[in-house]
Amino acid sequence: MTATITDKKVLMKGNYAIANAAVLAGCQCYFGYPITPQSEIGEFMSGKMQELGRAYVSAESELAAINMTIGACSTGVKAMTSSSSCAVSLMQEGLSYATSDQLPVVLVSVMRGGPGLGNIYPSQGDYFQATRGGGNGDYKLIVLAPSTVQECADLTYKAFYLAQKYRNPTVLLADGLLGQMMEPVEFKPYPYPEIDNSQWKLSGAKGREARIIRSYAPLADNQCVYLEKLFEKYKLIEEQETQWEEIGTEDADIVLVSFGSTARNVKTATKICRQKGLKVGILRPITLFPFPTKRLKELAQSVKMFVSVEVNMGQMVQDVRLAVNGKAPVELIHKGVGVPPAPEEIVKQIEELM
Amino acid sequence: MEKDFIIAGFGGQGVLLAGEVLANGFMIDNKNVTWYPSYGAEMRGGTVNCTVVMSDEDVSAVQKSSADFIIVLNQASFDKYVSWVKKGGSIIVNSSLAIIKKTREDINYIFVPITKLAQEKLGNIKMSNILALGTLSRVSKLISLSTLEKALHNVIPPHRANLIPKNIEALKLGYEYDLLKV
Repeated sequence: MTATITDKKVLMKGNYAIANAAVLAGCQCYFGYPITPQSEIGEFMSGKMQELGRAYVSAESELAAINMTIGACSTGVKAMTSSSSCAVSLMQEGLSYATSDQLPVVLVSVMRGGPGLGNIYPSQGDYFQATRGGGNGDYKLIVLAPSTVQECADLTYKAFYLAQKYRNPTVLLADGLLGQMMEPVEFKPYPYPEIDNSQWKLSGAKGREARIIRSYAPLADNQCVYLEKLFEKYKLIEEQETQWEEIGTEDADIVLVSFGSTARNVKTATKICRQKGLKVGILRPITLFPFPTKRLKELAQSVKMFVSVEVNMGQMVQDVRLAVNGKAPVELIHKGVGVPPAPEEIVKQIEELM
Repeated sequence: MEKDFIIAGFGGQGVLLAGEVLANGFMIDNKNVTWYPSYGAEMRGGTVNCTVVMSDEDVSAVQKSSADFIIVLNQASFDKYVSWVKKGGSIIVNSSLAIIKKTREDINYIFVPITKLAQEKLGNIKMSNILALGTLSRVSKLISLSTLEKALHNVIPPHRANLIPKNIEALKLGYEYDLLKV
């Protein structure tokens, strides 16, 4: 798998689509340590980056990989790392630092079963890890959740763009199903403008004042000011970048909320429900932070029940409940780990909830 | 219309590759298609299968628990998947590595000595997987040999292009499975 194609559909694994899109997005440095189910990303990068004269480093650990990415990003180049669940855990400190340093780190997280080493099957068990973070302090990561292989490519572009635009670490949150499945995908050229980073990057201080990027504020007041600013940025991101897909919600009694690969089966389930005459719609968050809280709040004025459908023990359901804020019941349909419940199974469970 | 396909066998029999060729074929025919693998940690000898779903609309689900067409390349897969064939569906069985036995009345059985054909007619048992696709083309009537030929070009990398003519031969052999005496 070596092609960097931009003009026709190719059948490709989600992992390769992510890697190929990262190359097309202008990623100059890749640092990573292999782990199933995302190893194809590193494999692709190991060949392609060398071929293009860019940097590929097989890091000695995930801790090293995230810190190498931080280092590269501080010089103003686009850089990324990728990993999976238990190994993304090892990167949490780095992500907290990168947020504090305001560096455009891109992390591809291809979720597998947990907790601990878990297993290599698909999972959405790292919704909390991505949206709440395991690092210390008040921070947010921008989190994008693709649902198809085409979106794996498109949202990889977007991850690089948003990371640069807001100088904030951005996570592409895929899963083992998306990483390992193949689907036709088309690669258009990187569609976003390049962001000027000349005012902050560490590019050598010759002819200008020296800069320092660090994650330490010696004075309490300064840190208060800093945090306020950081959260003004997050507010702006919420206002401008919240993205979701909605089908059949206009007259819906029940709205299913689902993200990522699971949303594929949920869409089919809503179709089956409609055929049965049930007024069911779907809202699929594409950005998990920022979460489409406002839209859910609006829908809660008329919708009789929300159901979060996830492959974990129930994580996003908490954000749905916060958004709906008691205006309607919020139920959960879930499976602990593995491929998502079949559409018919989801329909059956919806009927039981009614 | 949506049709589900499962190809199953031992690791090393080219099950995933056959699925990739099939899925590429459906893409060439402008269908929506997904391919999803399932395998253990073994490099060879473990069981492996892949699910290919072809649809005119969005694919309803990537993973299925039944299929319209199933190819089984060994006994273990035959035993496991015969109950997965949808009513009225078909199962293509590699009778070189599985005992000819019909346990259901509501499905079509196609027994083909796939491994033996590949060995005796093509001189290479590694062609079994593509040969089975030829049979699938004939049985399913959902994908043509010429589309599968194009798909081979998509899947086989340039430095292995010398293998393409032999694989095309395998497709044709599989398609004409019932005309051959083995």
